[in-house]
Order: sequence, then C-alpha cells, then structure tokens
Amino acid sequence: MQNLPVAPSIAHVATPAVSVAPSPAFWVAITLYIVAAAMMMLVLGRGAKAQPKYAALRRVVLTTVVVAFVAHGFDIGWRGTLGVHPASSVRESIGFLAFIITGGYLLASLRFRLTLGGAVVLPISMLLLLVARLSPVGDDPSVHGSALSTLGRIHISLATLGIGIFALASVLSAIYLVEEKNFKKKRFDTMSFHEAPLEGLDRLAHRLVWAGFPIFTVALALGTVWIAKLDAGWDRPEYGLAVATWVAFAAVLLMRTAYGWRGRRIAKLTLVGFVGALLVLAMYLLRRVF
Amino acid sequence: MAALGEIFAVGLSWRTAPVAIREKLAFRDEELAATLREILARLPVAEAMLISTCNRVEVYGVAVPGHSANAAADALRQHLVQGRGAPVEASHAMYAHAGPDAMQHIFRVASALDSLVVGEAQILGQLKAAFALASSEGTAGPLLTRCIERAFAAAKRVRTETAIARGAANVSSVAVELAGRVFGDLTGKSILVVGAGKMSRLAAKHLAAAGAQRLVVTNRSINKAEALAADIGGIARPWDDLAALLVEADVVISSTGAREPILTHKLFKQITKQRKWRPLMIIDIAVPRDAEPKIGDFDGVYLFDIDDLQKVVQSNLSERAKASEDAVRIVQAETAAFEQWLAGQHVVPTIRALREHVTNITQAETAKLIEQLDKREHSPAERAEAIARLGQLIANKLLHGPTTALKQATGEVARQRAESISAVFGLVTADDATPTEAPGAELGATPTARA
Repeated sequence: MQNLPVAPSIAHVATPAVSVAPSPAFWVAITLYIVAAAMMMLVLGRGAKAQPKYAALRRVVLTTVVVAFVAHGFDIGWRGTLGVHPASSVRESIGFLAFIITGGYLLASLRFRLTLGGAVVLPISMLLLLVARLSPVGDDPSVHGSALSTLGRIHISLATLGIGIFALASVLSAIYLVEEKNFKKKRFDTMSFHEAPLEGLDRLAHRLVWAGFPIFTVALALGTVWIAKLDAGWDRPEYGLAVATWVAFAAVLLMRTAYGWRGRRIAKLTLVGFVGALLVLAMYLLRRVF
Repeated sequence: MAALGEIFAVGLSWRTAPVAIREKLAFRDEELAATLREILARLPVAEAMLISTCNRVEVYGVAVPGHSANAAADALRQHLVQGRGAPVEASHAMYAHAGPDAMQHIFRVASALDSLVVGEAQILGQLKAAFALASSEGTAGPLLTRCIERAFAAAKRVRTETAIARGAANVSSVAVELAGRVFGDLTGKSILVVGAGKMSRLAAKHLAAAGAQRLVVTNRSINKAEALAADIGGIARPWDDLAALLVEADVVISSTGAREPILTHKLFKQITKQRKWRPLMIIDIAVPRDAEPKIGDFDGVYLFDIDDLQKVVQSNLSERAKASEDAVRIVQAETAAFEQWLAGQHVVPTIRALREHVTNITQAETAKLIEQLDKREHSPAERAEAIARLGQLIANKLLHGPTTALKQATGEVARQRAESISAVFGLVTADDATPTEAPGAELGATPTARA
C-alpha cells in the first residue's frame, strides 16, 4: 500500500464522503469472528494433549469461521451494490484485506491444524473489519471513489492483495517463531502450541511471500506512476516505508534463494516486512482521521 | 441360548508376578490350541480363550452351567500351574475373577487400562489374535464371544474418546514424534546413525517405519556399521566421513561409547553454512553424551539428549494417566451395559419354556375341538358355543398352575407370589386401592363399586 496522494487538484474535485452504514452481514461476521476467536482461545488453553473431544470443538470453530467469512463476503458484495467497491478507497480496501486474510487462513487450515494461527488471525480480521466499517470517514479525498482514477483503483486492489498474502505469510512466520522457540527450549508442556511441522510452516510462508511479492511489486510500480501523473509530490513518509517494505520482502527472497537462509532468520525478516506494511496502512488511516 | 454359565478370568500379569514367574506359565503360540481343547475337555469350563504375552497369561472362560465360576477358576488355576510345572509362587501370583468382576477385568485389559504402559495398542491386537484362535478352535461360545466383542467395542471407544493412547510412550517412539514436529512426514528424509548400539538400532527402525528412506550408519568400527546397516536396511559409511554425512543428514541418532563429545561446537560451526540452515534433529541417546549441548544454539539445530526424551515419555505417560480416569468411566459404562444384557439372557430359557407350555395347551385343546367338530354337522350356534368353551378351557388350563401355586402358598411366600402374578398380568386388586385413586373407599364405598 504505497501511495494514495492528496494532490491539491484531487482534493479540490473531491465530493463529500458518503458513509454507507454497515450491513447486517457485517454484524454477523463480527459476532462470529469474536465467537470463533474465543473458542480458539479455549481450545488453545486446553493444549494439544487435551481430550479428543476438543477436536470436535475445533471443527465447530472452523465452521464458525467459514460462516463468518461468508457473511463478510456478503457485506462486501452488499456494499458493491451501493457503488462502494473494495478498491474504491483505503478504508474499503482494509475491509477487503481482512477478507483475504480470513480466506487465506481457511485455505491454510485445509493443510494444517492452525488453532494458534486462528487465535491470531481472527482478532486481526475482526479489528481490520471494524476499522474499515466503523472508523470516521474523515475528509481525505482518497476515501471517495470519485477521487480515484482507474490506475489508483488497480494500485489499491493489488496492494491490498499483496499485503493480504504477506499477512498470511507473517502469521505463519509468527507461529513458526513461537513454536520453534518452545521446541528449541524443550518446553514440552507448552508444545501444546504445536500447530504444524516447522519445516511445513517455513515452506508455506516462503511460498506465500513468493506469491505476494510480484503483486506487491506491480502495485508499487503503479502507485509510483500514479503519483507521478498526479504530480502530487514525494514527501510523504508512507512512500519511503512502502519501499522499505518491498526491500524487506525482496531480502527474504534473495537471502533464501542465494544464501539458503531459512527458519528463524527468514521468519523474522518476513515479520519486519509486514510491520512495514502495517505502518503504511496505519499512516493512511491516521492521516484520514486527523 | 441354553442356560448360561458364569464368566470368569484367571491368570497373572506384570502387576502380580515378576518375569521369572510369568515366563514359567507362558505359552508358545503352537501350544495355545491344544491347551484350550484340554481345558474344555478336563475342567468344568464351557468356553475359553487364552492370551499369553510377555506381560500376562490369562484365561477368560465360562463355567459349565450348574458349576460355579469360582470353582471353575480354581480348577483352572491348579491345572495351569501343574500343567506348566510352575513353582508354587505362580499359584500365589494368580488371580481369579468371577461374574461382573471378571467382565470388568476383561474390558480393562482390552482397553489397555491394565497394561504396563497404559493405553498401549498391542494388547488389543493380542486379544484379537487370542479370540480368533479360540473361535477357530470352537472354544469361544456365544457368551464369551459376546463378552469379548463388547470388550473390543469398549476399547475402541476408549481409544477414540480419550487421550489415553496419545503421545509416544518410549524413547524410540519419542524420537520419531519429535522428528515429526520438525519435518512432519519423514518420507525422503536422511537419517544418520552414529554408533552401532542397540538403542540406535531401535530408534532407526522406528524412524524407518515412519517413512525415512535413507539410513546411513557410521561407526569407528566399519564392520559393526555394516552389520547394523544390513539389519536396518541402510548403508555403512566410514567414520572419517562424519562431517560430510552431517551436512547431508536431516536426523542424527547418536549413541557411541565415546568418552568425549563427537558432535562438537567446532564441527558444527564448519558445517552449518554448508547445510544452509536446513533443520537438523539430533537425538543423542549416548551416556556420556556424544553432542556438546551448545550445538543446540545453532539455527535450525534441535538437540535432544536421553533426559529430554525421558521427560517427554514421562509427560506423555502422565497425560495418559489423567485420561485413564475418563477411560475407566467408559469401561464401567460398557461393563454395566453388558451385565444388563447378560441379566436379560438369564430369563430367556424361562420365556422359552413358558411359550412352549402355552403352545402345547393351545394346540392340544384346539385339536380336541377339531376332532369333536369333525364327528358330525354342527349348527352355527353350536360352533360358537364350542369356540367359547375352547377359550375357557385354555384359560382354565393356563391358570391352573398359577392358581394352585397361589392357593398352596402361605405367609410371605403367598404374598410374594400374589405380587409377582399381579405384576406379570398387570392386575389391579381391591387391596391396591389408595385414597387418591379411590377417595370413595374412605367414605365407605365398596371395592366392587370402585372396580
């Protein structure tokens, strides 16, 4: 998410923000995210050696997440019918980012048992969705669909998708670090957080970075062209941070491919990159509100 | 089902006898069938199966109807001790359970609650083999079959509904479990066995069984390495190749007799870059240890010594012990259900006799009536009267026995018989009237009026 310029010309043509009230599906999604996250905490609290009956609870939790995901999708679709598309603003893209993260988590759950991952992902998705729907619209013209060109929309879409994929890679990396530390320190009582084999987590996170990097790169390039077209100036700190994020993920791929880095080192570097992406998002949000 | 005998269980196990005694009573596989046939031929035992493992020798049987299970169990105990020429201590170490206790014992054994390692899976397979043999030899009859089948069902419930079988319970299995936490599927992984000890052999075999395909053995004595490699289906490599082998390995099992560490920090500093930080699991089961503890600080290197493995074993066993409380509840419930079924089976002969009795009377009286009707023509009214008379005759004959039994009884016996008959036929007598049911009784209303 590299750039959403506030060029004087755009600010001038911007129309007042129209706030679309959250749909009932939004409230369903939020409620179910909360319920699912709470149940995952419960399962985690019982540990991996818990009674097999918690396996049934895990299935219930995943079903709940699926329903929440569908409700989330309905909410996005409903907003689309009102002319508010995921790529129409940063605000909308954040709601879509949450959708991508949850969907990716569900896909990864087909391969691994990711209870800890769910306990991390679901609150994040819920928070992003809340921010996207309930935060003040503010007066940043970037929130208005009318203020964005096609180039801007494509940039936002790709950046959202790229960051969503990086977010999933980062969640897996975070799980890897927690699990690896416990394993290394031989904390067998806390091996309850054993989600998936370390090598599998490492490999999947790496594949996700490979998948997200080209998308994010194109988003960055389009954003650069967009700013240049608007002649909006290059003085915003988000721009530098977005480039730093790109450099971090490029380093992940380079160090792995060229020097064989893997495991803890790569997981930390992935998290560094994702923190950069989060900071870019946070700056856009803060700028809009204040 | 004919009259049923009582179930019993006789034997000894690791709980009651050391191996020195267990081995005296143990049976070879080829002896089992003959022993079963002999038990049924010589003793008051109607059904029997025999299980003989390293941890237990037990006979589960059904006493011949009319003989007590305790008597059958005692006879079997003597028979086993004398037949095997076992010392008198064996007799003292043997236990005998009869009736519900025996059922509970069998269910517990099948569910691995009575095993040395609670929750182990082998006992169920051993019981199934023992039962299959008894079935093929014809020594497992309907009652024992039902009991064992229910025990297997209870065992299945215990394994699926509780955590009793979770977590590895021996050092070799723990090595596999830990390797799985790093690599998941071990298919295609390279295992390096350093040293040619017995523990290495066991652990390597477990890893191979879990899917590891490339097994390499290195040892100071290449001959021993070759022997172990041949045993586990791997290849032997010279000791001098150790560093190169470590670069290729995914899992290292080390158990040499070296007095000084072999897997040193210096050595790992050399190979880490060559390995490109690929994960490496080191299982050091040697005492003194083969690996310097600080090599575990390298990225991607996971070092576990024998104490670590033992801790995992203890932790898993502790979890199994906790789970066994739930397992016991399941076993108790399943045993109770079987006892209930069995209690129902005890009245089956009575039900059958009662039906035969009624059928005989009905058929005899009906035959008489048909004979009378065939002698001459009867008007419809006469036929109706004959049929009504037939019903009365059958009823009288059926009620003759119970009525006589009631009239002949006195005191408490008479009262019990009256209650039984009332319960069986659902009768309401005048004495059953209660103030609630017949408030008029208190006001002087007669029972007849109420009825």
